[in-house]
Amino acid sequence: MTAHQSTLTYVFAVCGPPGPEAEALGGLSGVAPPAPVRTLAAGPLTAVVQDVPAADYAEEALRERLSDRAELERCARAHHEVITASMAAAPTVPLPLATLYRGEERAREALRAREESLLTALGRITGRVEWGVKVYALAGQPAAAASSPGAAAASGRAYLEQLRSRQRGREERQGAALRAAERVDTVVRGLAVAARRLRPHGAEVTGPRRTHVLNAAYLVDRGRERQLRAALASLRRDDASVEIELSGPWAPYSFADGGTAP
Amino acid sequence: MTVAAWGSVPAEAHGPIGVPLVDLLDRVLATGVVVSGDLVIAIAEVPLVRLSLHALLSSVNERVAAPWTDSGPL
Repeated sequence: MTAHQSTLTYVFAVCGPPGPEAEALGGLSGVAPPAPVRTLAAGPLTAVVQDVPAADYAEEALRERLSDRAELERCARAHHEVITASMAAAPTVPLPLATLYRGEERAREALRAREESLLTALGRITGRVEWGVKVYALAGQPAAAASSPGAAAASGRAYLEQLRSRQRGREERQGAALRAAERVDTVVRGLAVAARRLRPHGAEVTGPRRTHVLNAAYLVDRGRERQLRAALASLRRDDASVEIELSGPWAPYSFADGGTAP
Repeated sequence: MTVAAWGSVPAEAHGPIGVPLVDLLDRVLATGVVVSGDLVIAIAEVPLVRLSLHALLSSVNERVAAPWTDSGPL
């Protein structure tokens, strides 16, 4: 970035022809109001962009900004809001948070250089949405009174046996939860055109009561929402030992660059 | 073409404040490399962001890649 440059081009998403109408983006504040969120034509593609102050978005400033929890959340939600609006108006390939160029012309060049793969991505996501499916293993029953320290002291052998049996119980529950996760994944893949595993969340997010065993995203035809919900309802009835959560419909964030075939 | 309202089934609704941040970050940070920007803020490599996300996601483990990579224990 040159020292005198005052704005950068933030690219939220790429849409296919003809791209979203200006009105669809009209009320959005984007990541850096009051500059408008607008479209930028790049050959057959239309980017959804906003001019942002270079002083606030240059590398160091951005690093700092994204290190701040509240600011990270603000940026992520603003980014998401623009993508959601764009997706409601035209097929949209979301770009990662903070995809920045040194001006419009650089943004155009970058899109032109990846034109073919972006058009392929647009073809893949058109008429489809992303659904998130999470499976949690529920914590086992609290240890029985027999495993209290007082009882354990009664006999070293009994104590060891209790430890082993508790360990076996944990392993069995874990194994059962992983198998349940695989069943859920298999069923949802059957309804999807692509799937992707995300990393399960840790205990600070899920709470102590449950363990996250599946965090997956699926690219699904828009018309299949009812089928998807029915399939999950049926899986929930079959197995009460896990919790199954559905989120969406999302813009196809996890499928901008492919994902694996189901 | 319209998108159904988020969480149109009550049991799965997320309320008017919007989607859970942790799910959002899974996505806005994880989106594959479709195009590369001029300013590549490789978010996973930024130590400060890692720390801040660590508190939030608690799934950053020094021995494995960042939490938004396409991986899992299964």
